[in-house]
Amino acid sequence: MNETKKEKNAKVKEFLLELCCVYTFVSVTGAIVNMLAGTETNNLNVLVMFATCTIATFVLFLHKLFDNFSPLFMMVAQYLIACLLIGAMLLIISKFVEPIKPRGWFEFYRSFTIPYIFLAGFFYYRVFSETKKEAELIKEIQELKGE
Amino acid sequence: MKLNLFQDENLKEEKVDIHYTNMRPVIKQLIDTVNSERPTLSGRPADEDIDDGEEIILDAKEIYYLDYVDRKLFAYTKDGVFRIMNTLANCEEMLWNYGFVRVSKSNLINIYKIKQLKPEVNMKVYASFDNGDKICINRSYNKSFKDYLQKMRRMG
Repeated sequence: MNETKKEKNAKVKEFLLELCCVYTFVSVTGAIVNMLAGTETNNLNVLVMFATCTIATFVLFLHKLFDNFSPLFMMVAQYLIACLLIGAMLLIISKFVEPIKPRGWFEFYRSFTIPYIFLAGFFYYRVFSETKKEAELIKEIQELKGE
Repeated sequence: MKLNLFQDENLKEEKVDIHYTNMRPVIKQLIDTVNSERPTLSGRPADEDIDDGEEIILDAKEIYYLDYVDRKLFAYTKDGVFRIMNTLANCEEMLWNYGFVRVSKSNLINIYKIKQLKPEVNMKVYASFDNGDKICINRSYNKSFKDYLQKMRRMG
């Protein structure tokens, strides 16, 4: 029982640490882009950015649940979960803070989907290139042993 | 590796000297052989009754992979499938120096017997063997698999 609690605490700590790193990276990148483009952000944008980072970190954190499935299925499932959570977030904002126009929904999903596709493509490429390297390593080990 | 054999009928005690540069798996295997600790697994043909089948000693290097199914451990070789009366964890510990690495909760594969390592379209990576069998390298074990290959390469 105590062990389970410790494991849970360790997972929460790990999640918070990753969230801090992700949010720092996104906010610093956002600040640099704003400086270069001469644009400004507001408090609501900062909060939305934090909520988006929390959703993204949470969704990526779910990868262990998909261990028995293929990585392709995992990526699609994670994307769909992220879409649902982001939809819920936009609904809350729309109801309690400020109504969001259909264009706003489209823009948000687009700005979230494009980097996701790029990162998924990079992950896809990495799986293939890493496997190629591992296959070469195996051949080398087999040759060294004279198999 | 150079091998010198000396026959002396008057020798009181037989001995083996090993001159090596670093402790590689092949040296460790020689030591184990001299110490009569060369890992062998005893098994019975999987298609026979466990009490009736004749026990066969399997040389670790002849095994493609070990598969743990329904609380039973099976060894897959060129000559067939054998039921092993041991645990997967024990085998993993015993065969570590002999090219066996854990790639999933239920599989231990012999890297010297891998014919091909290839990812499929769904991004699952499979190791295929001469007998046509394919074993999936589980994502959670990928890092330890990679580390093991690098370690074996360094030690090779």
